[in-house]
Amino acid sequence: MAKDHRAGSKVRGDKLPAILMANLLLEGDTVFLTDSGWTLDPSAAKIAHDAETAAAMEAEGKAAAAANVVVDPYLVPVDLTEGGHAIARHFRDAMRQKGPSIHPDMGKQAEFPPLD
Amino acid sequence: MYRYDEFDERFVRERVAQFRGQVERRLDGSLTEDEFKPLRLKNGLYLQLHAYMLRIAVPYGTLNSRQLRQLAHIAETYDKGYGHFTTRQNLQFNWPKLKDVPDILDLLADVEMHCIQTSGNCIRNVTSDQFAGVARDEVEDPRPTAELLRQWSSLHPEFVWLPRKFKIAVTGAEHDRAAIKVHDIGLKLKTDDTGEVGYEVIVGGGLGRTPMIGKVIREFLPKDELLAYLEAVMRVYNSEGRRDNKYKARVKILVHETGEDEFRARVEEEYSKLDGPTINAPEEEVERIAAYFASPAYETLPEVSEALDDARARDGALDRFVEQNGFTHKQPGYIALTIALKEIGAVPGDMSADQMRAFADIAERYSFDEFRVTHSQNLVLPHVKKDDVPAVFAALKAVGLASANAGLITDIIACPGLDYCALATAKSIPIAQDIAKTFADEARQKAIGPLPIKISGCINACGHHHVGAIGILGLEKGGRENYQITVGGDASEHAALGERLGPGIDAEDVPAAIEAIVATYLGEKRGEETFIETVRRTGPEPFKAGFTAFIEARAAASEAAE
Repeated sequence: MAKDHRAGSKVRGDKLPAILMANLLLEGDTVFLTDSGWTLDPSAAKIAHDAETAAAMEAEGKAAAAANVVVDPYLVPVDLTEGGHAIARHFRDAMRQKGPSIHPDMGKQAEFPPLD
Repeated sequence: MYRYDEFDERFVRERVAQFRGQVERRLDGSLTEDEFKPLRLKNGLYLQLHAYMLRIAVPYGTLNSRQLRQLAHIAETYDKGYGHFTTRQNLQFNWPKLKDVPDILDLLADVEMHCIQTSGNCIRNVTSDQFAGVARDEVEDPRPTAELLRQWSSLHPEFVWLPRKFKIAVTGAEHDRAAIKVHDIGLKLKTDDTGEVGYEVIVGGGLGRTPMIGKVIREFLPKDELLAYLEAVMRVYNSEGRRDNKYKARVKILVHETGEDEFRARVEEEYSKLDGPTINAPEEEVERIAAYFASPAYETLPEVSEALDDARARDGALDRFVEQNGFTHKQPGYIALTIALKEIGAVPGDMSADQMRAFADIAERYSFDEFRVTHSQNLVLPHVKKDDVPAVFAALKAVGLASANAGLITDIIACPGLDYCALATAKSIPIAQDIAKTFADEARQKAIGPLPIKISGCINACGHHHVGAIGILGLEKGGRENYQITVGGDASEHAALGERLGPGIDAEDVPAAIEAIVATYLGEKRGEETFIETVRRTGPEPFKAGFTAFIEARAAASEAAE
């Protein structure tokens, strides 16, 4: 079977700041890396401001995938809001931070406060 | 309807047990994701943007009330209370958890359902005409053929690792409602000069990034030779189809690169080497399968129902519903009804658990406990007594299922798009919702007439945009969603691929662009021509001109605003 790469941000150019996103293996939910493991809450995502932190986070993601905790971890370039929250720069990643646009009652947008 | 025999039952239960073991081994780390992924895909389980997605097979689109009630139960217990009917007559749940999937598969097996052949590089769930066994223009019910193909292809040892997925559609009718010319194999039941029943065999159609209309490989194949002949086609594909490049791996590319005549010659050569009688199904088995699809016990009724005619005269909404969603039945006094899962503003193909239960009751009481799923993401009640239509309409209306727009401009096919799908490049459903709202007025829809709009959120074309009378393809351009529009696509026996009208446009401009295309049609239309008939006569040029004028006016307006 040909190899699909569904994961990976489509943002071109500058890749920082960034957060690390994945899916939980067991549940499937989108999760974000923090200083202490993974969170379902997009506002709690750890933000890498420099390449070194980003590389360390990426390595942590790969280790978590190898340990069968998450699937498809990848760095997501973000912009910061006035409130200091990370908003994905690409609309596809932003959809994963919020949930389906057609169902405001489902996904992250229904379970967590807005990113502002 | 087909009922499982002991072999079907055992096969499905064994697959559930196997998958339960595979999930356990994935969770304890014995299987890596790369090892597990092809296994989960063989059981219809994908990982999408927000969650896993489970695709459930609905062989040739036929279901009963017990199955739908079980789907409602699964939707409420393991998902978010709804399901989504797809363009391959299947059903998807968008939020299951991996740990629950083996239990869900067991519940499906309890009602003779499964997720086999809904993914992976195998022969997929066979699709068919939603009016199979009902249509007056039918040579023969295509479902026994589809069921025979299901049994032949399920775990066929030679064809479980094909170069790429493989889709077969069957129709028994003159008017093609199963889109057989855009499938890997399309089969049409027909009769020859002597009245013998057989198949026209079409190979190499498909949509996706390289759309192609299938080629007739055999004008007439005697009915009892079906399996051996298809085995020859599959063997040529399996050995010669490309495995080096997934974008060139479908049989349509092989037929195209080999050439139609040469491909036909290779199939015939392979066929001549096969020992047909050892492959073809024995006659008694074909008859056993066909018996499951015998017509239900219709009452002998007059063609015209005075009760229905009186009710239609009194109730304008009922009258519009029957006129638009009714389909002529072969049995006097009966009608088939399309249930458009296309209320204005709804998600095309979505159905809530409450609607499923209500609809199951309706199908059980009024349609011999049977209904169909269409590739247009609608449902069909195939055998309703005309006398019962007012009661059916009232029951449908009570649960928001009485939308009288089947086949009209608001009856839009849309793939899940970027709202759910990991492969999507743009949103699809919100575009459908916006267009439906723009054309919500019933009188206006009726004045425009039949106009299938089909929307895909990426080049893979799950929304069949290439064969939409108006097709919309969502792509990414410069970090934004961008929509290309085509006209002239047709999925019927006049199969044609749409032609692009011009540059891609932003999402918010799509409804106005559709307005411009409709205005061109109404200006060009002669007599009673439908949209597609007008495009066929005029070609795309007037539509391109209208679209260009729309783009220029739009650019001028946005400049003025700045």
